[in-house]
Amino acid sequence: MSHHGLIRGVQSLEGLRLRLVDAKGEVVGRLASQIAIILQGKDKPTFCSNKDDGDVVVVVNAAEAELTGRKWDQKLYRWHTGYPGGLKERTAKEMAEKKPDYVLRQAVLGMLPKNNLRRSMARKLRIYAGERHDFEQHPDLVPFQMPPRKLREKGDLFELPPGFEAFNPQAYQKRYGHRLNRQEQQQQQPQAAAAAATAAAQQPGGSRS
Amino acid sequence: MTRVKRGNVARKRRKQVLNLASGFRGSSSRLFRTAQQQTMKALSYSYRDRQQKKREFCGLWVTRLNAAARLYGLNYTNFRHNLKKAGIQLNRKV
Repeated sequence: MSHHGLIRGVQSLEGLRLRLVDAKGEVVGRLASQIAIILQGKDKPTFCSNKDDGDVVVVVNAAEAELTGRKWDQKLYRWHTGYPGGLKERTAKEMAEKKPDYVLRQAVLGMLPKNNLRRSMARKLRIYAGERHDFEQHPDLVPFQMPPRKLREKGDLFELPPGFEAFNPQAYQKRYGHRLNRQEQQQQQPQAAAAAATAAAQQPGGSRS
Repeated sequence: MTRVKRGNVARKRRKQVLNLASGFRGSSSRLFRTAQQQTMKALSYSYRDRQQKKREFCGLWVTRLNAAARLYGLNYTNFRHNLKKAGIQLNRKV
């Protein structure tokens, strides 16, 4: 196999796929949890917790992975050097500048089980900051699709189904009153705009005629 | 009281414990007193783990079913739910 020299420190690579993950635009933690599942081999029906059967994961464009909120400035990585007074802390932005794959790699390592197989699982994870990677000649590259995000529809939960009255109208108004009013205004605005548009269309027509 | 010679009673008792302790490391398989301590621990672990073995294998089977179901676009909860809806299909989780 052509990648024998590229992946060492792992028991055997027979029968394992090589998954190509594009980290561009993906949120770090969410991507890391999927990668950790693949590395452990938990997406296979032949999963065995005492055997490292996970696929090799090649991550590309790791420098383009995203963190939500202000985490680039606020998320701190801390470690102690062993010397007195040697507690170092760096923000995610600083770590990413020095080592572009650090943020994603730490996220994945934190999600792997802390046991004797962790090292070989980590060895199967290859992260590249750019587009190029060392496995382009490999015949068995399988691209990985992130599963679709389950986004909850927010906003309509306060509406009662038609025909239902609020059991406690005062509490209902107090809790959801402002959103109900906002919804009414939004409904009235398009209606008002439509009415104004029709009125404006009629007036010039009427004045000309 | 009549005189009682102790005979081989104690030796038999200790030999039984040392037989249970075969394969233990160092003095725990050779000397009776350490062997007895380690044997007591070993027996209580084996009692506990006979119960845990059933749990652990069940969890392993659930993990495998989850992975297999996801190959078809389901997850384990939906898989089980639909099996239940379809009637009592015996899912022995093996």
